[in-house]
Amino acid sequence: MAVEQVKMVKNILTGNDELAARNRDCFETAGVLAVNVMASPGAGKTSLIVKTIEELSGRARIGVIEGDIAGRIDTEKVLAAGAADAVQINTGGSCHLEANMIQQALNNLDLSALDIVFVENVGNLVCPTHWALGEQLKLCILSTPEGHDKPVKYPELFAASDVIVLSKMDLIDLVGFESDFFYESVRALNQAAPIFELSCRTGQGVARWIDWLVGMKTAVNGSAL
Amino acid sequence: MHEFGLMTQLLQAVEAKSREMGSRSVLAINLLIGDRASIVDDSLLYYFEMLTPGTLAEGAELNVRRVPSRFYCPNCDDKYTPTGADFRCPTCSQIGTITSEGSELLIESIMLAKEE
Repeated sequence: MAVEQVKMVKNILTGNDELAARNRDCFETAGVLAVNVMASPGAGKTSLIVKTIEELSGRARIGVIEGDIAGRIDTEKVLAAGAADAVQINTGGSCHLEANMIQQALNNLDLSALDIVFVENVGNLVCPTHWALGEQLKLCILSTPEGHDKPVKYPELFAASDVIVLSKMDLIDLVGFESDFFYESVRALNQAAPIFELSCRTGQGVARWIDWLVGMKTAVNGSAL
Repeated sequence: MHEFGLMTQLLQAVEAKSREMGSRSVLAINLLIGDRASIVDDSLLYYFEMLTPGTLAEGAELNVRRVPSRFYCPNCDDKYTPTGADFRCPTCSQIGTITSEGSELLIESIMLAKEE
């Protein structure tokens, strides 16, 4: 028997990346801005989506793909807040969404009737990082009670994000969050991503986030809201 | 847990390549995995043993070469591996910037059996 060494030098996740590229085509063809929302459980992913839906009410038609291990609590929340459409994915234990799950969800979402789609990933700062879904923007949310050291502990997600939201700013003085440490760590990982400090409870900083998002919708799709 | 999905994708890519090369048996798979990629070797091996029986990769050797996480310090003009407490350069304490070294998720090569 002969033995042959074959060089591959191939990303392990190429299969997922190819499916993600097809999803991205679907979003782009429909002129939809797709945002992959990643954060720990409880950081405020659903709260930011709900707040954004409320703030853009009458201006943007927002769809949501909800990824959770089980249940449809968040889907009901975003629909109650005025989402134009929402699809629930239950991963049944998997710690992150994969491109094929989004491909299936897109069968149940009429993109022609939407402007922005938020894909709310499973709450986790590790696993979702390397799985492209077809989004044009990766959004990472960190809430102040989680602590300023998270970028050091979970560098890849902060390095990979296009935009970072520091949420629950109304609690910052209660939880000993050291902003200097947070900013210097994030900037070691990612010099380009804008960072928005906000609180969905008080509304502080939300307007800046909305303005930026609306600007991105125009920049990415060429069509303004 | 994401090692399950990773291994599923990996085996699909390896099987496709072996078929393309006309081999019916994979003898070894050589991976390059960065330390920042949050991959646990034992977990990879666990799913490898679970998913390979009955496939072209059954009985293959799984080799993982690790790449340390490297940052660049402009002050020292050198690369360093952060200590874990922060991202400061251990030599001069300045904060550098991340490099791509340490985030690899690559299949470097595979070893195939070829019938004469």
